[in-house]
Amino acid sequence: MSVLIFACFLLVACTSQASDSETGKKKDSLVLAIGSEPTDGFDPTTGWGRYGSPLFQSTLLTLDRNFNVQPDLAVDYSVSEDGLEWTVKIRDDVKFSDGEPLTIEDVIFTFETAKNSQSVVDLQNLKKIEKLDAQTVKFVLERPQSTFLYTLTMLGIVPKHAYSENYRENPIGSGPYKLVQWDKGQQLIVEENPYYYGKKSPFKKLTFLFLSQDAAFLAAKAGQVDIVSVPPNLAKESISGMKLIALDSVDNRGIMLPFVKPGYDAEKGIEIGHEVTSDLAIRKALNIGIDRDKLVEDVLEGFGTPAFSVADKLPWWNEETVFEDGDTEAAEQILMDAGWRKNADGIFEKDGEKASFTLVYPASDQTRQSLAIAFKQMAKEIGIEVNTEGKSWSEIEEVMHSTPVVMGWGSHDPIEIYHLYHSKYRGQGYSNANYYSNKKVDQYMDQAIHAITPEEANEYWKKAQWDGETGFSALGDAPWVWLVNLQHLYVVNEHLNIGEQKIQPHGHGWPITEFIADWTWEE
Amino acid sequence: MQLLNIGKFILLRTLKFAILLFAVVLFSFILVSFSPVDPIQSYLGAEMMVVSEEQKEQLAEYFGVDESKTQQFLNWLNMFLHGDLGTSLLYRQEVLSIIQERFLASFMLMAISWIISGIFGYALGVIAGMNEGSWMDRAIKSYCFILASTPAFWIGILLLIVFSMWLGLFPIGLGTPIGMLSDEVTWLDQIKHMVLPALTLSIIGVSNITLHTRQKVMDVFNTEFIRFARAKGEEGFRLFARHGLRNTLFPAISVHFASFGELFGGAILAEQVFSYPGLGQAIVQAGMNSDVPLLLGIVVFSTLFVFIGNLLADLLYYLIDVRMKNGETI
Repeated sequence: MSVLIFACFLLVACTSQASDSETGKKKDSLVLAIGSEPTDGFDPTTGWGRYGSPLFQSTLLTLDRNFNVQPDLAVDYSVSEDGLEWTVKIRDDVKFSDGEPLTIEDVIFTFETAKNSQSVVDLQNLKKIEKLDAQTVKFVLERPQSTFLYTLTMLGIVPKHAYSENYRENPIGSGPYKLVQWDKGQQLIVEENPYYYGKKSPFKKLTFLFLSQDAAFLAAKAGQVDIVSVPPNLAKESISGMKLIALDSVDNRGIMLPFVKPGYDAEKGIEIGHEVTSDLAIRKALNIGIDRDKLVEDVLEGFGTPAFSVADKLPWWNEETVFEDGDTEAAEQILMDAGWRKNADGIFEKDGEKASFTLVYPASDQTRQSLAIAFKQMAKEIGIEVNTEGKSWSEIEEVMHSTPVVMGWGSHDPIEIYHLYHSKYRGQGYSNANYYSNKKVDQYMDQAIHAITPEEANEYWKKAQWDGETGFSALGDAPWVWLVNLQHLYVVNEHLNIGEQKIQPHGHGWPITEFIADWTWEE
Repeated sequence: MQLLNIGKFILLRTLKFAILLFAVVLFSFILVSFSPVDPIQSYLGAEMMVVSEEQKEQLAEYFGVDESKTQQFLNWLNMFLHGDLGTSLLYRQEVLSIIQERFLASFMLMAISWIISGIFGYALGVIAGMNEGSWMDRAIKSYCFILASTPAFWIGILLLIVFSMWLGLFPIGLGTPIGMLSDEVTWLDQIKHMVLPALTLSIIGVSNITLHTRQKVMDVFNTEFIRFARAKGEEGFRLFARHGLRNTLFPAISVHFASFGELFGGAILAEQVFSYPGLGQAIVQAGMNSDVPLLLGIVVFSTLFVFIGNLLADLLYYLIDVRMKNGETI
């Protein structure tokens, strides 16, 4: 089916399209086709805008391009010594797009509503909220959680006076834009919020189109959109008057290797562990033997970067964990040193056990399938036999505690690391599904969670990866083989300059609007 | 007497419909339960790792997936019998209001293409049937066979490329102009946006009725009384209008009513291609994300829609063709 569609595009590629450029008057509106429609609406308390830019609402704090915390609605915040009490002071000059002032009651209302919403917003750890004075609020947590900071950067504040069941369709907020019209399934029209207190974008009107990927690409070809997100297979098609922008991301793909010896977790009632991948030498050999650059070239057609961790290039990432990969000799040496010997077929064996395992990938995901197959070939070169098998997610859930799986994460919140690697989450659904555990690493991560400042927390997150002796990175216990970070691709009108972007999170689309105030139109 | 019969007919059909609806809903539910998509996993996506286990349990409760499948189905059935289709998990909105919102757009689209394909399909069928074996007949026949095996989305994309990209005559997708506020949107705009999706559906919808009509026309033209009429010197359109029209029009109409199912299926594909905001778009979203309430809601609705089509078809046959009343077949 997609082959047919692609054939149509090739047909089209032969004809050039003259896009009518605006002449004379300065362009102050944009048309964007950047991805899927947030079907559940624009309510931050149920998850809208968690990647930095709620567009209609503003957040207490924000992260700049280097992930430094900056004030937004808040002028100041502080954390108590025990990490349980967060005090936030807000500005007194902010108005919602309907002209009403934003007060501390709105902040409290927002967090209480979000806590009670059954949604992706997780405020289970928030015990209570106290109003200290007209500008100050105190959040009291059940347990210390330094990553609560990232909740403050993600949750857009909603107005108490204008919040109702229909808020999701008619959001009112203090963000840079206000919603004018939402034609469901089609488009979203927004205009600048006249009361916005921050830097204004030169674009007074934005129209977001919710087109299918094929239609969006055709619309770009017809010169009807200014910015469109594209999949890698269309990225190399040139559109006259438009340029390709590839944004780096932590939208990663890696292979989770079962960490423990085969066994049975009676408490959870699941089979766990794997004889071969529980051997540190195997995990290390795979990590060093895989050629990540080649994976980027062959599988992602160049649109990606090698991945060495779940959080590459984020502030809590330990740079020391990068190493020279694609070294098959070193990989074989590691196996030899651990007592593995090659058999007649060129596959390593130890005590009658073949270095062989099945790698499972979600059958619906073409990229992951290709990665699995490329991984299989690379593993074979270092004498490890990998059989690949596509399954549905529910089938994967049944075997993921005892079988390697191709997975992908990448969040702007380090709590992800905590859930992925802490031993207390072993076997809890997708969290630490490979049963990784290391007391020292647990300790570092607990220290990170209890830290008061993000700088202090980041130090511990880094130590958990590699402290010089141990850690969960490939230098240490290597429970994962991280492979690649995808690049997010956009075709943009050549006059439009979207400036520098943050490292994009897992998930395409809306995050690109975060710095829209800095976008410019250059004739 | 006849009225009584129709009453009985409708009653019987309604009963049949109730059984059919139950079967379809049950079957759909069983199919969704086998779906590899876990609604919570699908809802959380990459956020899976930043959400705590407690929150996931709350979500399971909200999504109603913490109970057994049987219990989930019984819950749904109970709600349904009380006239409540539940709340879509994906849209966080009443299923009924989503269907209302979406159906109008779909209905206009389907109605227009149904009428167009009916008229053209019938005309083509008559032309082919009257000129059996000629080049025109063969051309129309091949056209129908090719179309019958052509997916709607492909036609849609071809139309988009030709009429929107190359010629720039029609907009690319959507139901309204890009960036235009709804009170500025004119009737003309709406029609312009409907042309390509409706054309896609019409092109596809033609083949069934054309082939059927062609066969009917040929049958009629091979009867004694036509030969007799021909001997009297009648021919061409006059002959057809006098003797063929009545014998072929009503069967064609009833076949066309019976094609509501295909129409609905085609609309789903066409709406996807053109980002046309109808029910088709919603059912794809529901299926892809295991949004059970929305999916079942649309299933109920589309079953009703197709059933009404078939009922009208049968009713037409019954009222128009005297022979049906005597239990004969044509």
